[in-house]
Amino acid sequence: MEPRKQQVMTTFLAYRNTLDAHYDQRERVIKCSRDITALSKKMVFSLLRITQDSPEKVFKDVEFKHNQVLELFAKMSKEMQGSNAMKYNRQATPGIQEYIEAVGLWRFLQYNELITKKQVLESLTIESDGNATPLVSVTDEDYLLGISDLPGEVNRYCINSIGKGDREAVSKCLAFLRMLKEGVSLVLSVRKYNNLEKKVPVLNSSLEKIEKAFYSMTIRECEMENINPATISPSGIAAECNMDTS
Amino acid sequence: MDLQIFIDLQDKFDQETSLYEGINNAIKEMDRTCRLASAKLTKAHSLPQEQAKDVTESIKPQFVTIKQYIGELSQLIKPETFYRYHDRWTNVLQTACALVAFSIYLEELRLATPADVEEYLGFKVNTENADITVFVITLEEYLHGIISLFNELSRLAVNSVIVNDVKRPQHISAFASELYSGFQLLNLKNDSLRRRFDSIKYDIKRIEEVQYDLRVRNLI
Repeated sequence: MEPRKQQVMTTFLAYRNTLDAHYDQRERVIKCSRDITALSKKMVFSLLRITQDSPEKVFKDVEFKHNQVLELFAKMSKEMQGSNAMKYNRQATPGIQEYIEAVGLWRFLQYNELITKKQVLESLTIESDGNATPLVSVTDEDYLLGISDLPGEVNRYCINSIGKGDREAVSKCLAFLRMLKEGVSLVLSVRKYNNLEKKVPVLNSSLEKIEKAFYSMTIRECEMENINPATISPSGIAAECNMDTS
Repeated sequence: MDLQIFIDLQDKFDQETSLYEGINNAIKEMDRTCRLASAKLTKAHSLPQEQAKDVTESIKPQFVTIKQYIGELSQLIKPETFYRYHDRWTNVLQTACALVAFSIYLEELRLATPADVEEYLGFKVNTENADITVFVITLEEYLHGIISLFNELSRLAVNSVIVNDVKRPQHISAFASELYSGFQLLNLKNDSLRRRFDSIKYDIKRIEEVQYDLRVRNLI
């Protein structure tokens, strides 16, 4: 082979190695992100069982799953050092957002607060050799998109709570979603942000569902207060308490 | 209070807006300069090889300007956030690399190396996936630039025949097919690099047709 052609082949072989390494790394991040998503969703399912199981049992179970997720983050962390964190953010963000949704729901159920980005990072921090840094970095966008997915799950929790007659829980959910809606609107007022815009319809419909359900609950309680149990036959009570939770 | 979280985010995004303005401005100016240089370079298609140098000299000022604006970008961007904003300037840098590639071919009849790109544009090409500690030109941007070269070469081959230059197309033919072999070594994924790579074969086809036409008429 002539020298010039040889030169071209050698240089492009080197470029191939560089590109292959990059694509392979990207694939590994995608796989980790998928696994994190799956496990985070399991955390959410565990948390939603709080209306049937005892809180201690639920939180213990979630804690266990959380440790498993941390192992996955540790794996992903290897590929996201330095400038690679932003380089592969697009591939990592689905998993990160799903995780934030899970720990966000956890925080809400346990402490009735909105989890902060700082708290998310703390949940991702493990001690190693005296160093305590988060396993991965979380951008503001990751955080916002993660918490803006909370309405859907809070909605589920709320409907389950209504079924149990837990008025306090419903009230908390309502306040929480209203606060989220206000916050998201605030952010969207300064910046055009399509991914966040897409969440707004879901947020609004979740809020509406909860308001409607709370309305039904309130009305029924008023009805029950007005009924004198002594004057009704058993079948009459069944008719009065015809549950409609559509 | 919970709402404070959003107020703080609102402030943060507000501050970022001025950064975006700086970035977008630099990119806009670079884009304009690239277009100017590109327009000047088209002259090379109507001149013989001997006068190619005049054309490439005429765009040296544009390279100085481009270098300056990339410098501005590098001042605005902290290395850890390089990839956060990278998609904004990647297109204009691809065009800049293409200008370098075409200039070098016109002047020296060879492939522009990353070192050439560094000389013309003032920043290194990141050929080895190194962690970003300074502003760099990515390998993809460099490769996009080289891919653009194929299109110029196929046009150059056709236009050389028009000005009765039959030697140039021969050189282009050999050069392009070598370069294409190199490109075919790469394992590309379904992204913009792959799509543009797929268009190279049409340029190769055109170059080969020029060769054939000349051969068949015993002009070479």
